[in-house]
Amino acid sequence: MTVREVIQYPDPVLKQICAPAQPEDVDRVVGDLLDTMRSFDHCVGLAAPQIGEPVRIAVVDLTGHPKVEDPHGLVVLVNPKITTRSPETEIRREGCLSLPDLTANVRRPLNVTVDTGGEEIESHGFEARCLLHEIDHLDGILFLDRVASLTDDLFRRKSYR
Amino acid sequence: MNLAVTAIGEDRPGIVAGITKVLVGAEGNVDDSQMSILHGRFAVMLIVSVPDDCDIEGLDRDLSEVGADLGLDAIAVTQITGLHGSDEPTHVLSVYGPDRPGIVNETATLLADLEVNITDLRTRRTGSPDNPLYTLVLEVSVPGDEADLRTALQRFAESGGLEAALAELEAEQL
Repeated sequence: MTVREVIQYPDPVLKQICAPAQPEDVDRVVGDLLDTMRSFDHCVGLAAPQIGEPVRIAVVDLTGHPKVEDPHGLVVLVNPKITTRSPETEIRREGCLSLPDLTANVRRPLNVTVDTGGEEIESHGFEARCLLHEIDHLDGILFLDRVASLTDDLFRRKSYR
Repeated sequence: MNLAVTAIGEDRPGIVAGITKVLVGAEGNVDDSQMSILHGRFAVMLIVSVPDDCDIEGLDRDLSEVGADLGLDAIAVTQITGLHGSDEPTHVLSVYGPDRPGIVNETATLLADLEVNITDLRTRRTGSPDNPLYTLVLEVSVPGDEADLRTALQRFAESGGLEAALAELEAEQL
């Protein structure tokens, strides 16, 4: 297993729809994804296209994260499917290793059910957000495609007239 | 070569288009910028890169002309040197309470005394004339431990009749 280079936009691998993962892809990619994710202090999820592998595999790990109640620990996604999304949404700031030095406010469902490829899990809040962010990567979608508001949204309400 | 272009004027359509048309004509590229409405005035701050042989005086003249056409209060261009990276914000701080003179200065002085760098600051005065509410939201870069800052903010809020809340910025990468 190897720590791989994280691919940054505008590399086209980040903007394409990834191919269904085959068993040999899982063997080749999952270990490197985990090693690469864990080589960064604040990285809590990584998708295969971010290490240059355009296949539908991603990992998320919020073990021990203070913002997450009851996380699932390490979640390995292989050909994942989002089965339900709550109508309730939340706006929170996101950052991505493939778009360094940028953050943006993104609106996402508060609760989701995801078929991870082996089991169906219910996830909430920040963990749900991470799963959705990684699954977006498998469809060539970056968080800048989902910007909900400027950072100073708090101040957008005043009328002077 | 880098230039700072700043302008302010009564908000109307066409201010950004007018200013950037002049910059494009000088082969300028807007690098970082922030533009926003402040109490009905549109305020423009741009860092622009231009070729080294840029005629700054000519650019200044053209911008002044556009500023006059748009009825701006002010427009200025200044050459800047020594651009380098900036501190990454680590925390967001909000301070609010009944308005009175000195809130921004007291907050900024407290931060400066603790070597905390302000990377972003917005303020608004809202509420009614009888009960004006003042709100500051800042992003700051806290060197080292945040405990000293928390203690100082608590004391400051209590003595100043204000509320102050400090939160860590989301640092997770995906």
